Amino acid sequence: MSTFVFATAQYESGDWDSAPLLPANIIDTIARYTTIDVAPAGVVVPLGSADLLRYPFVYLTGHLPVRFTDQERAMVRRFNDRGGMLFVDDHNHDVDGQFHKTATEEIARAVAPLAPLPNTDPLYSAFFHFDDGPPDTSQELNGWGDNLVHRQLLAVVRDGRIVVLYSNKDYSSEWNYSPRNKRLFAVDNTRFAVNIIVYALTR
Amino acid sequence: MSGADARGSGDGGAVASRRSAVARLRLTRVALAVAATVAALLWALAAALATVLVLVVIDRALGLSQPLRGAAIPFAAVVGAALCLLVAWRNRGVMRLLDVALWIEHRAGSMSYALVTLADPGAGERAELEVAVAGSRWTRPLAIASARAVAVPLAASLALVMLLRALPAPTVLRLAVPRPGDVLAGPAAGRRDRLAPLVATVSPPPYTRLPSVTLEDPATIPGVEGSAVVVEGRGDPAGLRARVGDSALAITRDGDRWRSALLLPPQAAALRFTDGGESRVIVLAPFADSVPVVTITSPARDSVLRSPPRGALRLEANLHDDFGLTSSRFEVIVTSGELETFTSRTAVVGAAALSGVRDTTRDAVLPLDSLGLQPGDVLSVRAVAADGRVPVPDRGASETRTWRIARVGEYDSLAIEGAPPPGGDSSLVSERMLIMTTEALQRRRPHLARAQVVGESRDISRDQARLRRRVADIVFMRLSAQPTGEESEGEQGAAPQTPAQVLAAAEAATARATGGVATDFSEDESPVVAVNRPLLEAYDAMWDATRELDIGEPGTALPFMRAALAAIQRAREAERVYLRGAPPRVVVDLPRVRLAGDRAGAAPSGRVPRTAEPRLPPMLAGRFARDLAMLLAGAPGAAADSLQLLRVDALDGSSEFAAALDTLVRRLRAGGDATAALIAARRAADAGTDRAAPGLARWAGVAP
Repeated sequence: MSTFVFATAQYESGDWDSAPLLPANIIDTIARYTTIDVAPAGVVVPLGSADLLRYPFVYLTGHLPVRFTDQERAMVRRFNDRGGMLFVDDHNHDVDGQFHKTATEEIARAVAPLAPLPNTDPLYSAFFHFDDGPPDTSQELNGWGDNLVHRQLLAVVRDGRIVVLYSNKDYSSEWNYSPRNKRLFAVDNTRFAVNIIVYALTR
Repeated sequence: MSGADARGSGDGGAVASRRSAVARLRLTRVALAVAATVAALLWALAAALATVLVLVVIDRALGLSQPLRGAAIPFAAVVGAALCLLVAWRNRGVMRLLDVALWIEHRAGSMSYALVTLADPGAGERAELEVAVAGSRWTRPLAIASARAVAVPLAASLALVMLLRALPAPTVLRLAVPRPGDVLAGPAAGRRDRLAPLVATVSPPPYTRLPSVTLEDPATIPGVEGSAVVVEGRGDPAGLRARVGDSALAITRDGDRWRSALLLPPQAAALRFTDGGESRVIVLAPFADSVPVVTITSPARDSVLRSPPRGALRLEANLHDDFGLTSSRFEVIVTSGELETFTSRTAVVGAAALSGVRDTTRDAVLPLDSLGLQPGDVLSVRAVAADGRVPVPDRGASETRTWRIARVGEYDSLAIEGAPPPGGDSSLVSERMLIMTTEALQRRRPHLARAQVVGESRDISRDQARLRRRVADIVFMRLSAQPTGEESEGEQGAAPQTPAQVLAAAEAATARATGGVATDFSEDESPVVAVNRPLLEAYDAMWDATRELDIGEPGTALPFMRAALAAIQRAREAERVYLRGAPPRVVVDLPRVRLAGDRAGAAPSGRVPRTAEPRLPPMLAGRFARDLAMLLAGAPGAAADSLQLLRVDALDGSSEFAAALDTLVRRLRAGGDATAALIAARRAADAGTDRAAPGLARWAGVAP
C-alpha cells in the first residue's frame, strides 16, 4: 500500500493557496484517528499537470473566480475518470460569490453538474458518524459570507461513488490553523476530514 | 461560226453537261448521307429505348439495387451508340461518289453506266455520256430509299416510347431517375417481407441547415442528435412492433406502406422492428452538436497592471462552431478585497448577435478608466459564444485572462526593471568562444606538427584557466563578498584548489552566511550548493578541460568544455525563475500524534476479512441453470457458446466459477465426457459466501 499524500490543487486562476495551514492540519487529523500511512507534509500539484494522477485525493479552494484552462479541464476530467476524488471548498462561503459561481460552472464543464448530496450518504458514516450531514462551521454560524447554514454538500456521483465533493461551508477557514492548536478545542472540528479522506481511499 | 468554234462550243456545252451530271451525283450523295445518318441515330434511339425497357422489366421482376439502376441509362446510351456506329459503318458507301453512281445506275437502269463512267475522275470529257445521263431522273428511287431507311427505326422508337409510357411511371422513374428511397417502389415479389427493404429519412434540426438524407436498408442511422427520423417499409402496419430501448414507437399506415417516426436520441441506441418471429435491428448513431470553440487572442497572457490603470484593454477572440454561431460577448469580472472579504462586479462588453457564421473573429475595447480599478483588484476576462442548438444553445468559453492591479507595497519587493545579464552570462560567451577555437584546432590538427598543436592547445588552456577563475570568483563573491584566492598569485603560483576543496569551501561559506542553520531548502543540500551547483559543475568541467588542453589533446577536452557550457546555461536559467505563491511547508510529527485522537463516535468496523469468495450472484446462477437445460436438451454447441458468455461475466468476482466454466466449455467443444467438469462447475456455483452488503470496501489502513 502506498503512502497517502495530501495534495492541494494549484490552478492558474484565483488564489489556490488561500488555506496554507489546512493540509498539515488534516494530515495531523488523519494520523490522530487512523493508521493510514500518510506523508508528514502535503504537496502542491498543478491542476493541469499529469502529476495530478499520482494522487487519489486532491483539495481545491480559493476566493477568486475559478477559470480552468483547457489543460486543467482535461486533466480534471481524466483525474475523475481514473478514480480520483476532487474536494472543492468555497473559501468565500458565499453562494453569490464568484468562486461558487465559477467553480460550479467549471466542474459542470469538466466533469458533470453538481447535485445535492443526501445527508444519508455513506460519506457521513465512512469513519465518524455525522447523522445530520456535514458539520457546521463557525463561519456559517457567525453569519459570514452568504449568512446561510448550508445543510447539504454538493457532489458529482458516478457509479455510486463521489468523484467531486463540493462544499459551501468554508471548511478552508474552519480547518486552516496550526495542528498544535487542536488541543484548544473540546471537540476536534476536523473530524469530518477523516470521513472525506477515508471515503476517497476506500470507495 | 467556224468549225473550230462549233467544236469548241460543242466541247464547252459537253463539259457543262458533264459538270451538271457530277453535281447532281454529288447532291444525291449528300441526300443519301443525311438519310443514312438520321437512320443511324434513330436506330441508336430505338436500341437505347429497348435496353431501358428490358431493364425496367428485369427491375420489376428482380428489383435492381440503386447503383445498378443508376447505371441503367448510361448503359442504354452505350448500347445505342454502338448500334449507331454499326449502322453508319454498314452505310459507309454513301461517302464514295462511285458507289453512289452505281447505286443510282442500279435503280435508274437507262444510263448504261454513263453516270458511273462520268463519276470516274479519269474518264475524260465524254459529251455523249452527259447526254445519256441528262435524260435520266433518280429522284424517286432516292426518296423511296431514304424513307425506307428512316421509317423502320423511327417506327421502332415510337413503339418503344409508347410501351414505356404504358408502364407505371414510378416503375420507369425508378430506373430513369434513381433516388435513395425508391427501393420501396420495387418489385412486388418480395412484398410479403415487411422488414425488407426499409427506407430511413433523416432530417437534421433546421438550425443545422443540413439537408435531409435518405438511406436504403440501413444497418446504422447516423445523424445529429435530435434529427427527425422516419423509417418506412412496405405492407400493412398491423402486427408490426417498433422499439428504441424500452420505449415503444408508433407505426402508422401511409398508402401501401407503413412508417414509424422518432427523434435521434442523445446516446447510441438500438431500433428494433419485430414482425411476428422476425426482427430487424438498426443502430441509431447520433453525434452531438459541438460546443463552440472560443480562443481568446488578446490579451494574450495574464499580467500585472500598475496602479491606477489607464487606457483601454483590447479584447479579441476567435470563434468556431460546427453548425453556426448565434451570439458572442466578452465577460468581465472585477474582484476586490483581501483575506476573508471579497466583493465582485461583473460586466459584459462586445455583445453581438451572429447570423449563423461558423468561423469569425470578434473584438471589443475595455476602457480601464471606467472600471474604477483599485490596487489589489483582479480583472478576469473571457470570451463566450453560443450556437443555435435547440432547445438549449451550447455555450463555449475561452480561457480566462487575469490582470491584477499591483498594490503599492509590491513595488518594494518585485523588481521589474530591466537588469544587466548576470555574471555567468559573460562566462557563457567566453566558454562558447573557447569551444569554437578548440574545434578549429581539432580540425586543423592533421595538418599541423605535434609541437604546434601542443602550443596552441596550451594557449587555449590558459584562457580556459582564466575563465575558470572568473567562475570561481562569481561563486565566492556570492558567499563572502570576496573573490576566491584560487590561483590569485598567477598561473605559476600556489597549487590550485581542487573542485572538492572549492565545494567544501562553498558549504562552509553557506554555514557562515546563514548563521550555521540552513533550513530553507528541503533536500539534503545547503542553499549555497543548490544555488551554485551548476556553476560548480562548470568549474569542475573546466578543470578537466584545462588538463586535457595542457597535454595537447583538444579533442578530448571538448566534451568537458561543452559540459561546462551546458552547466553555465543551467545556471542562467535557474537564476531567472520567479517562485510564486509558495505556501509554507509544515511537517507534521506523525509518530507523536499517531492514534492520539479520541475516536468516540467513530463508526464500528463490523468488517471481517473475507475467507471465501462471494456467492454467485443470482443473475449468473439463473443463466447457468438455463445453459444446463440447453445442454440437457442436446445442444452442446449452443450451450458451450452460452457458457462462454457466462464465463465473461463470471470473471468479474467469481474467478473459481469462471475457471470451472472454462474447463467445462473445453470439454464440451472437444466432444468428450464432460460429467466431471460439469460437477465441478456446479460445485463452484454453489460454493462461496454471501456477498458483502454495500458499504466500505476492505481497507487495511483504517483501524477505527
